[in-house]
Amino acid sequence: MTNTVNSVEDPEFKQPNAEFCYAGVDALLIEFGHEIDACLPSYLATIRQRILDSLGSVVSEVVPAYASLLVYYEPRAVRPYDLQIAMENLIAEVPWLCSPWSAEDANAPGKLVEVQVCYDPSLAPDLERVMTITGLSAEQVVAAHTGQQLQVYALGFAPGFAYLGSLPESLSVPRLDAPRTHIAAGSVGIAEQQSAVYPQDSPGGWNIIGRSPVQWFDPQRQPMTAVQVGDRIQFKAIDLATYQAIVEQGASS
Amino acid sequence: MTGFRVIKGGILSLIQDTGRLGFQHLGVTRGGPLDANSAYWANRLLDNPVDAAVIEITAGGLELESRTQTMVAITGGDLNLTVNDVPQVPWRSFWVRQGDRLKFSTPRYGFRAYLAVSGGFQTPLVLGSRATVMRDQLGGVAGDGRPLQAGDELPCGHLQHEPLSRQIPQNYLPQWSQNVVLHVIPGYQQHYFSKAAWQTFWQQEFTLSSDSNRQGARLQGAAIEAPEGKFLSEGVSYGAIQVPPDGQPIIMLEDRQTLGGYPKLGNILPLDGFNLAQCAPGAKVRFQPILLAEAQQQMRRYLRFFGL
Repeated sequence: MTNTVNSVEDPEFKQPNAEFCYAGVDALLIEFGHEIDACLPSYLATIRQRILDSLGSVVSEVVPAYASLLVYYEPRAVRPYDLQIAMENLIAEVPWLCSPWSAEDANAPGKLVEVQVCYDPSLAPDLERVMTITGLSAEQVVAAHTGQQLQVYALGFAPGFAYLGSLPESLSVPRLDAPRTHIAAGSVGIAEQQSAVYPQDSPGGWNIIGRSPVQWFDPQRQPMTAVQVGDRIQFKAIDLATYQAIVEQGASS
Repeated sequence: MTGFRVIKGGILSLIQDTGRLGFQHLGVTRGGPLDANSAYWANRLLDNPVDAAVIEITAGGLELESRTQTMVAITGGDLNLTVNDVPQVPWRSFWVRQGDRLKFSTPRYGFRAYLAVSGGFQTPLVLGSRATVMRDQLGGVAGDGRPLQAGDELPCGHLQHEPLSRQIPQNYLPQWSQNVVLHVIPGYQQHYFSKAAWQTFWQQEFTLSSDSNRQGARLQGAAIEAPEGKFLSEGVSYGAIQVPPDGQPIIMLEDRQTLGGYPKLGNILPLDGFNLAQCAPGAKVRFQPILLAEAQQQMRRYLRFFGL
């Protein structure tokens, strides 16, 4: 099994088949191939919404990931085979647009979110390590990190923690050998060709190259998370003074 | 509001209810009692709604002082509860008065006790649930996911009149042992595992590791051959048996992360997971296959019984 990244332009890449697997007494896993693909997040987000809209009486939750949907259902209300047939019919109706973001309608996931990041060395404990491994200068690291829109592939690990990809290969750095026990909320990490913002103070093993003043997860807020699967992110560099001003402003409001 | 005051938090005492539903797509863990059967029995003894908040007491040490008069119910493992130093029989409801001291010490049998109070503990709702999920920093007495500690106030209602005490009929009491069989529903990534891996899995007696927690039960034994290659992270359902590269299986429980990337052998029957929650580290664990249809029939009976 490989984790190769298909590019949107790749004419070879075809719509993946949906495969159904049992995942215990109250869940079905639908797998859409085994590869990370920029076409998938908006496709999965659309299918997820349709399942909830039309099968919401028997389906309680649908959890999207890179190339799969985990569907939790009520085992007293429906038999797994009947649910599978219903979902197969539903999936057949969803167009394969092979678009890295949703073209269907404005309310669907697919919005572009700009996220400010301060790459000052005082907030970037692993910047040196990243520079050493990649051979890039600090400016080149920032340019590589802010140089393209990133796709939200999945939310997990912690509430609101979004797996973002794909970074250019020139910025690819392995995870830390020993994870840190404490990473400050807002820390921006990179690992392999992925990036993420830590929503809360937590342990973690990604390379921290900056910090964002954005509050990434707030259970009191609607929506609770800054992004959802299918959205896009554009990082934007800010200086330390701007970062501190935003943090102070956030603390006083 | 009246309530209980925490004198000692014990080893790990957590407010739990049926869990935080509907937010797993945002990475929010569900939570909930590890031995849900015992927790729901505690609420049933008091005619509480099934989602009323209870305390899950792991391995003992919790000490409470009542600041109210009400009925409480105690189920789950026997952690040698005393009220004002008088030993109490578990799996029944009883009356407590203002000033009464409830003290849990070490397990006599089982590993987790459940304490319910009439009407449930009224700690803050976070995303529709009171369940404590430490890793997510959500729920519990302060709403931030921390366990109970000395000085905490646990609000609950009070009762004017003392109702009849009840106890659970003998034939409904679970039979626990430190030697459990877990039924497994295969059918999930099973073809990635070799024949030898499955043989090791079915034939071996595993030992429950002391690294186990609410996130996962970690087992030790001869290594199960893990499949080659990388797997993409995907949603993880209750009871999934993950096999990391070291071959020591991990059974994913209520506080599991919403996504995981290790290959999985299958899922255990949740009813067996409740028995596993009553095992102390060192307990012996074996696996047996079960058909999905049979597993679902058992679960439907359980869910119907508690009106879930």
